[in-house]
Amino acid sequence: MNRLPLLLRIAANAGASLVLAFLVLPILAVVPASFNKASFIYLPPRAWSDVWYERFLADPEWRSSLFNSIEVATLATVIAVVLGTLAAIGLRRIDGRLRTIVTGLFLAPMIVPVIVTAVALYRSALDVGLSGTILGMSLGHALLALPFVVINVGIALRAVDDNWLKAAAGLGAGPWTIFRTVTLPNIVPGIVGGAIFSFITSFDEVIVAVFMAGYSSKTLPVKIWESIRLEFTPVIAVAATVMIALAIVLFALAQIVSSRTGGRAQ
Amino acid sequence: MSRRHLETACLLGPALVVLALLFVVPLARLFSLAFTDPAGPFATFGILAESSVYRQVMWNTFVVAVVVTVLCALLAWPVAYVLSRLKGVWFAVALYGVLFPFWISVLVRTFAWMMLLERNGPINRLLMSTGLTDAPLALLFNNVGVLIGMIHILLPYMILPLYGAMIRIDRRLLLASDGLGAGLLDTFRRIYLPLCLPGLAGGATFVFLLSLGFFITPALLGGSNAITLSMLIASFVNDRLAWSLAAAGSMALLAIVLVLMALTARLLPVEKGFFAR
Repeated sequence: MNRLPLLLRIAANAGASLVLAFLVLPILAVVPASFNKASFIYLPPRAWSDVWYERFLADPEWRSSLFNSIEVATLATVIAVVLGTLAAIGLRRIDGRLRTIVTGLFLAPMIVPVIVTAVALYRSALDVGLSGTILGMSLGHALLALPFVVINVGIALRAVDDNWLKAAAGLGAGPWTIFRTVTLPNIVPGIVGGAIFSFITSFDEVIVAVFMAGYSSKTLPVKIWESIRLEFTPVIAVAATVMIALAIVLFALAQIVSSRTGGRAQ
Repeated sequence: MSRRHLETACLLGPALVVLALLFVVPLARLFSLAFTDPAGPFATFGILAESSVYRQVMWNTFVVAVVVTVLCALLAWPVAYVLSRLKGVWFAVALYGVLFPFWISVLVRTFAWMMLLERNGPINRLLMSTGLTDAPLALLFNNVGVLIGMIHILLPYMILPLYGAMIRIDRRLLLASDGLGAGLLDTFRRIYLPLCLPGLAGGATFVFLLSLGFFITPALLGGSNAITLSMLIASFVNDRLAWSLAAAGSMALLAIVLVLMALTARLLPVEKGFFAR
């Protein structure tokens, strides 16, 4: 069992390779589809062109949806990171049953199906006039991103020794000075990781956005969602490629940050 | 001492207030709508339970979730095993292969499958050019498309906990079993499989619970031929403005998810699977 017989080992490797190809290759198929010259989606393209990128950039609706997405994701990230970082630090200062309950509450948005959260948010947003606004979507996305920030910063906080805080206090530092000079420098990787995750969570999110978006505040995923149902053209592949490109950049950033965190923990 | 409590309250307070305003209150308000049907406070649940159409939707949601979970478990097995044995560059390549899809939007991945599974898409053309089929297969707008798309999205949630369990297995146990004369199958059945079970259970719980609430992928790949509970809730809100039914459906979905979580947490050490992420 420590070494499988050759035939089984070949089978395991072949199976794993096939499954990995199944996971990765379909995503990459989006890129060639966006460079298709034809007016319909055809894979692999018979003639290549960047005409659909020009269409994407020239169309005010696609362009504004991209800017809306950036705006919503930035706002959601700021809200989630500020609230989540404070909460993670606060969680460390309570213990026992209370800590379990509060932690559970912070993680609850991950457990409740997003469709339920989206419908509930939409209903309340209608009542208070936040439906169809950038702020409404940002708040909804901040809610979904909050657990990731609390978890990320919470993990980073484990590296901060309580004795350091006591030592700083003993030397006469106030709470703010302790936070600025001891806690913060140690949890920056956790905060940055949480921020990257929040941004991509919001940028990629469709369900809350589909319910909350108004006519003029569509995000990129909402515009894609609507376009898929109306007309299945290569311009959707362009938008999808933009989303993939952004995800790859943020993924690489997160890898760099987490490798730094790993180095720190050792 | 009280100053310390005040500080803690200031740290936790803002997030808790926002959580209450954006999550607890909206959910409570939505659920209260379930009891506002003119026919009586519990009429909505009766409508959902008695209509054969809605029962069919719930049955379809459940069947899809079970099939997705089983197929994910089977497909995850070789990947998790190979990951637990690989080292160096090949390990990194395989691990990134599993992690990369996590970062790509569910909508983008669903769109990719729409292109691939189309009537005139590359998969159908490949099947026909190799002579495996004569006419294009209907891979889209039915449960086949839904299963492929959902497995693609949920598979990493199964692979990572299973890998987490496999990597913790002490190889000396397998050597000992081998040395004591147990065959390959016996060692697998009596040592390897039981030690993998926590990871498998954690992954299966994840995948099953996420499947139940899936919306984007079944809506685009299944369409009106494969309606799930979440699609039904969305259509109550958007097409029929039946808020009380949407609320009742949401309550039912959340209740099922919470009950299953409580059950699996009791029966199996699920938290091991969760930590393996």
